[in-house]
Amino acid sequence: MTPSPAIEFQRVTKVYQHRLGGQSIPALTEVSFSVLPGEVCAFLGPNGAGKTTSISLLMGFMYADAGEIRILGYEPGDVRAKRQIGFLPENFAFYKYLNAEKLLRFHYALGGGHAKSAGPLIADLLRQVRLEGYEKLKIGKYSRGMVQRLGIAQAILADPQLLILDEPTSGLDPAGRKEVRDLIVALKAAGKTIFLSSHILSEIEQICDRVIIIDRGRMIRAGEMNELLRTNDLVEIRADQLPASLEPTLLAWGATNVLREAHSVRIVLPVAHKRDCAELLWASGCDVLSIVPQRSSLEELFLQSVGPSGAPS
Amino acid sequence: MKIWTIARNTLSSFLRDRVIILLFCGFLCIVLLMMTPLWAARAMTTVENKQVMQSTVNGMVSAIMGFVSGCGSLLAAWSAADSVATEMKSGTILAVVARPLNRWEFLAGKYLGVLLLMLIYTLSMLGLSFFLAWLGGERIQASPWILVVYPMVRYSLYAAISMLLVTFMHPVAAVGLVIVTSVVSSLLSSNYVLTSAHANVWRPFYYVFPSLGFISEDKFLALTKASLVSTSAVEHLTVLGYGLDYALVFFLLAVWSFHYRNLKRD
Repeated sequence: MTPSPAIEFQRVTKVYQHRLGGQSIPALTEVSFSVLPGEVCAFLGPNGAGKTTSISLLMGFMYADAGEIRILGYEPGDVRAKRQIGFLPENFAFYKYLNAEKLLRFHYALGGGHAKSAGPLIADLLRQVRLEGYEKLKIGKYSRGMVQRLGIAQAILADPQLLILDEPTSGLDPAGRKEVRDLIVALKAAGKTIFLSSHILSEIEQICDRVIIIDRGRMIRAGEMNELLRTNDLVEIRADQLPASLEPTLLAWGATNVLREAHSVRIVLPVAHKRDCAELLWASGCDVLSIVPQRSSLEELFLQSVGPSGAPS
Repeated sequence: MKIWTIARNTLSSFLRDRVIILLFCGFLCIVLLMMTPLWAARAMTTVENKQVMQSTVNGMVSAIMGFVSGCGSLLAAWSAADSVATEMKSGTILAVVARPLNRWEFLAGKYLGVLLLMLIYTLSMLGLSFFLAWLGGERIQASPWILVVYPMVRYSLYAAISMLLVTFMHPVAAVGLVIVTSVVSSLLSSNYVLTSAHANVWRPFYYVFPSLGFISEDKFLALTKASLVSTSAVEHLTVLGYGLDYALVFFLLAVWSFHYRNLKRD
């Protein structure tokens, strides 16, 4: 039996109505998707595609004009759902006059806990996000990356079942990004559902099970990462050299790409001719360096979906 | 508990607010400025001119406290509008409302935070009025509770109106409209309007608009027993109930309006 989705959008439409009879801007048009429990789902789209609007609807910050949204089986904004949600907004904002420890105590108390008993948990969280030693420093003096790490700490503070992260690696250096990636992998291993938006597609590709791509308020693609990135059963064979006489045979087998590089040759052809090609290369005295099933990258898929300038192709 | 957490955080932010710190500094300046004339009045008081000097001191303290109390109304309106608008502008509201918290609880916390600030202001005002009277060689006859509860009810009304307005408009516009409401309510309750040729047109507005002068503590600031207004408990309850009723209605309207607005970084 398929478990009920952690997040469900059904034909959701949102239009920004401008006051005083101004122009209405459709932010989302009949967007439908779902995320299953335990999945890590990437929510992608160019700037202005409707990602933040969707997340705002999901969190109950806004109301949809049409369609239905369910989050952990409840309506958005329902306190019962929010008890199990950790949320990191885009450009996490904070009370500058508080320090990290006080901010986390404040959020802990809002979650219904007793702030005084949160000491060990907060210390552990600050250690996880590499902010130990900065507990007493006013957040107003934090760097952008430190603020982002603190935002992540507040998102996982209540050990939520569902994490909604809007640009979690924004403002972080490569080491910080890797730490967030590792944290997400660890949370996934712990069975958490994670819904995140990011522009760093290489990271998304490494950690996500599902991808949803929207553009201009419409859903362009959605599906499991492996399915979307599979490229028609192609295989990439890398050899140290390739005699010119073999090229017509490779093309006859359906090779889509024969690329001569500085110290090797890259051949992409249907997986059905993998063995034929390898044997031909060996018979011709070439050395086969690698045989790898070919996948397109998420970046290629994204650009193919929305176009290089953000326009759908 | 959650409401109290938000209220404490709101108060904490107010106590670091430059506008509010300036206002409290203004308080101190008033005390310093009034010291000389009140001391002079005290020194110049003789058996022959006692009544005249008493009336002079009364007038001075009443005028100052009227001004300070008026500033308090402005402070209540501004802090209520600012407390919500700042959260929207900075985006801090998003992480807060994402917690298991209803929107009304957020607003109630903000409102309670404003009332805590106003309580500090009112207690300071009470101390100031007693201190000024003492400087002038007089004593305030009204019970301290009157000088605390009446302004608190009035401030809670100002804060509720402002909180309602800021749910759908800019905070400066909200405070401006609160001032306009205050002026209109004063005009509507004036004898000139209520006895004018168009009294029938204005009378419904008179009943609808909160009569802010009605819940003013000014009338209790008389310093001599002779002029002390005696008011029964029922009268007190009626007047305070009137103010609280208006405050509650405006606060509930604010909750309703806030429930349906989009929460995003402004």
